[in-house]
Amino acid sequence: MTTDEKKFDVCVPTDAADASGTGGSSAGLTRRDLIKAAAVTGAGVLAAPALLRAQAAGGAASIKFGLLEDRSGNFAIFGLNKWHGTQLAIKEINDGWTLDGGVQGPGGPGVHAKVAAKPPTTNIKATVDNGGAPARDDTVWTEPAEYLLKSGDKGVLGRQIELLAPDPQSDNTQFQTLARRLILDDKVDVIMAGFASAEREAIRPIMDQNKMLYFYNNQYEGGVADKNTFCTGAVPEQQIVPVMQYMIKNFGPRIYTLAADYNFGQLSAAWTRAMAPLLNAEVIGEEFIPLSVSQFSSSIAKIQEAKPSWLMMYITGQNHSNFYPQANAAGLKFPMGSSINIAQGYEHRRFAPPALNRFHVTASYMEEIPTPRNKLFVKRWRAMFADEPYLAMEGHSAYVATHLYAKAVRLAGTTDKATVVKALESGLGVEAPAGWVFMDPATHHLSQYIRLARCDEKHNITFMTEWPHIEPWWTRRLGVNLARTAEYKQYIPDEDPFFKMFQKKKG
Amino acid sequence: MRGPLGIFSRVGGRQDLGRGAAFWVAFAIVALGLVAFPLFGSAFYLSNLANFFVYVPMGLGLCLLWGYGGILSFGQASFFGISGYVYGIVAQNLSLTPGASLLGVAAAILATVIVAALFGYFVFYGQVSAWIIPLLTLVLSLILETFMAQTAGYQWRIGHVLLGGYNGMTGIPSIQVGPLEFGGASIALYLLTVIAMLLGYLGLRLLVNSHFGYVVVGVRDDVERTRMLGYNVARMQVTVFALAAGLAGLSGVLYVSWGNYINPSSMGLYAATLPVIWTAVGGRSSLIAVTLSTVALKWLADSLAVRGGEYAFLIMGALLLATMLFFPAGIVVSLNRLWRRARRQAP
Amino acid sequence: MNVPYIVSLAYQYADNLAFLLLAALGLMIILGVIDVINLAHGELIMLGAYTTTLAYHRAHLPLPACVLLSFIGVGAFGMLLERTVIRRFYRDKLGALVATWGISLLLSQGMLLFLGPSLIAVPLPEWTLSYAGYSFGGYRLLLFGASILVVLLAWWIFYRTKFGVRTRATMQNPAMAQALGVDTRRIYLYTFAAGSALAGLTGGLYAPTTTIVPLMGTTFVDVAFITVVVGGGANPILGALTSSALLASISAPLSSAFGTFLGRIGLLLTALVIIRFLPRGLSGYFQDLQRRRMAGARS
Repeated sequence: MTTDEKKFDVCVPTDAADASGTGGSSAGLTRRDLIKAAAVTGAGVLAAPALLRAQAAGGAASIKFGLLEDRSGNFAIFGLNKWHGTQLAIKEINDGWTLDGGVQGPGGPGVHAKVAAKPPTTNIKATVDNGGAPARDDTVWTEPAEYLLKSGDKGVLGRQIELLAPDPQSDNTQFQTLARRLILDDKVDVIMAGFASAEREAIRPIMDQNKMLYFYNNQYEGGVADKNTFCTGAVPEQQIVPVMQYMIKNFGPRIYTLAADYNFGQLSAAWTRAMAPLLNAEVIGEEFIPLSVSQFSSSIAKIQEAKPSWLMMYITGQNHSNFYPQANAAGLKFPMGSSINIAQGYEHRRFAPPALNRFHVTASYMEEIPTPRNKLFVKRWRAMFADEPYLAMEGHSAYVATHLYAKAVRLAGTTDKATVVKALESGLGVEAPAGWVFMDPATHHLSQYIRLARCDEKHNITFMTEWPHIEPWWTRRLGVNLARTAEYKQYIPDEDPFFKMFQKKKG
Repeated sequence: MRGPLGIFSRVGGRQDLGRGAAFWVAFAIVALGLVAFPLFGSAFYLSNLANFFVYVPMGLGLCLLWGYGGILSFGQASFFGISGYVYGIVAQNLSLTPGASLLGVAAAILATVIVAALFGYFVFYGQVSAWIIPLLTLVLSLILETFMAQTAGYQWRIGHVLLGGYNGMTGIPSIQVGPLEFGGASIALYLLTVIAMLLGYLGLRLLVNSHFGYVVVGVRDDVERTRMLGYNVARMQVTVFALAAGLAGLSGVLYVSWGNYINPSSMGLYAATLPVIWTAVGGRSSLIAVTLSTVALKWLADSLAVRGGEYAFLIMGALLLATMLFFPAGIVVSLNRLWRRARRQAP
Repeated sequence: MNVPYIVSLAYQYADNLAFLLLAALGLMIILGVIDVINLAHGELIMLGAYTTTLAYHRAHLPLPACVLLSFIGVGAFGMLLERTVIRRFYRDKLGALVATWGISLLLSQGMLLFLGPSLIAVPLPEWTLSYAGYSFGGYRLLLFGASILVVLLAWWIFYRTKFGVRTRATMQNPAMAQALGVDTRRIYLYTFAAGSALAGLTGGLYAPTTTIVPLMGTTFVDVAFITVVVGGGANPILGALTSSALLASISAPLSSAFGTFLGRIGLLLTALVIIRFLPRGLSGYFQDLQRRRMAGARS
């Protein structure tokens, strides 16, 4: 279990001021430092009574952190990455580091927002006139490279975090067994678990029965509204709507959807169908493919016949990834948009070019993000896991979730689950390696920093545009407010009356 | 052979290992120990053991079918899954009616038996050769898994219960009798699985030592001769097939009561092969051997998951191959033979 | 019906046919001659794909040489398998099924531990033909050609060589063949090696078109099993040819019209129906037909 744990002495941050100096101009520096100082004091004030309480309780016992990620079987390729992300975060927390950020009130960036050196009003005109990708100076916020702060605490509340991570082998029954083991036998304080939605749904009832605090750190089809569950991956409103907007604007309104024939594919396709009329586009064709299919000649022929402006891709898994080389060989040259491929399974690194040429994906994180902050993050990650094939977006989610949990426990002053849930519902925002993210109290989902990446014929990644703050608004629109009313279910798009309304209007 | 004594002599009959007073005393001690275990076991161990015992009826069914009936089937997992889904649909739809879960159990096992009988009718009355049945049952698993995996949408619902597609069906209530709920970590469910296991074993032992059991073995050893003796071989085979499926269905119901959840991979390729591994490794000619190996191999898979999970499949494959090469009769059965031979040679 | 659509349908038919034929032929030859089902057939295909991919990337051989290497290498591996395992199960078909299933678990999981979750695939030769708005993969057409060539070759060996005569004699009556001096064990060994080599060839040929992962074998065997069940073991070459021709004519238009899922279901249902009425498969049916005709001619 410890084979990957290499020494972690290489690049821990040296000094907050020094690190942020790599960011921008000197005027911004002082201002940021002031804010940062405030943040640290704020955290210190919040943490102080907690520390006292922990010590009073003889807080030497470690915090038990349960993790169930697939390290063998079908999903090992994703699970290993997430396991590493959690290990890195725990190492940092135990060494006395925390992500910059804290409580900032629900609904906006609040006091911890980073303000650019120059007021944006003078620059926006230039940006609009010139067109093209925005230069860093033109954005409202700038971000310092350093994202870690000293927490003034070894571990959390003076207690080290102890990781318990058995391997569920991509098997749903193993997930259930091991979840019960972690809860009943090891008596863990928190569980983070699951890649596939099926894995999450297998254990969510067990979490609810035992009132266990549960994090699901994965991009998924959305809709989970569960008092005990927090989701840190991106959801359809954060990925599908932006990628559709971009693709329709740049390539045209005729969409052909190719989706895996299971929950994720069907629900994502439903989002595309529902959103198309709102964006003045139409879905001209739709095909669902069973997960076991690996030959695509008939699908390719159908696409050729339909002649769409672009393809919306929700295919997934090992078998389906055969589509790309086959389509390429058959001369299919349509641009493709997606919310999963590349950012999750790094297909652009695994397949020989040019199979993924003209591929566009909206992602909450990718290893190639060119910010100085991300370069620092990648360096730290690779110092611990030198052989990591790719830092995928789920690994990043797992990393952020672990730090968020530590922050919430520090705020709560206890590991008592109900109190930690309240702390997580207080409106926590943190500076993640991808950018600023915020835990929405109403939906228990993160607002995300979304980027649209494009893959060229040599499989190089370019970031075409970015959305620094997309909220998880969909279940909120359905009336979900977990901070006020506890629920334990998953909504699906068919339950949203608005979707049907807009479709009717179009037809 | 009449009366209660007759039953005893039948249970102790020739068609299984373990005869004589020593065996039955040991059996009684183990059974009592299992029943008394909740007095000192933790909730977690009870839940874990219940999870192992849940699968024993399914393993016993395949033992009857393959070891005694000579029919190899990869379909046990399909029947396990059908039963779990039917229970989920019925019990959730009627969740407000008292006694709904018992109705669910009955419907689930009945549905399983009917599907198995239909499938068996096509296969056994067509008199296909023996190798086709394992391939066709594999195909059945694939149909069911592929079909269930794509039932994700809102249009796939029965009553108000969503089938749930690949993610599976959630929120299935546990079996409930009056105030007693057989939930995943409850003593009640643990005891229920122990009873199902013990009764399943004793019942099948009674069956294989009955006239019916001897005819089943006759079909295995020589189909033509049994047919000549005037038995309806195809009907016999369909009956055994349906009975084995019913036992898998029992496991399926217990499983959803344990986990409150079922998904298509419970009937997939890997799930379909597990009962075959348990039966082959334990020894298909003995019910007690299969009972032991089912529990042991579930335990092995579970402990492998905790440390070094990557090797679990590898070890299962190696175990299966080694068994087939070196102990074709099964490990428990072979060990028993060795032991008896050693005892005979000793003075 | 417009001509371009028919051409596109014919292309899909050829593509389906080649896939079924190449996936099932080796399995069927082994079933026909040795009367054993090799459940590890998919993993042998996986080995073939791995051999080609590794030879291409590490040894920098041209693609045809890599495929040839897969053919020979997996054939040799099959020989080893026959010597060590299959030999013990000549008379125990169910035992062979279970033992080869164990082998398949060992091979796929061993490969996962040994070479990791995936390899970078061989780049697909980029030839495309265009016709009236459709474009067709040239490599796919080449696969179709290869499958026809393989069947012709197998037919030639079976019916035109001395080895083929002995093999057919062994198939019909092993004891009699042995009495007449045929070394049946050698026949079995070579047959199993040939079936494995065909699996290796299939893996090598399809390596550029798929992802190279340890569990890739299962995507070949599910359709291969259906093809085998429908074809039957009485005459492997005729069985494979007729069965894949029939199944492709069902799956190609179905999946073109209703999507891949219904194409799949169609295949599976066809298998169930065929088996109910022709328990020995298509080749068994043709054999019976031939016998009846011969009997009729005699009387």
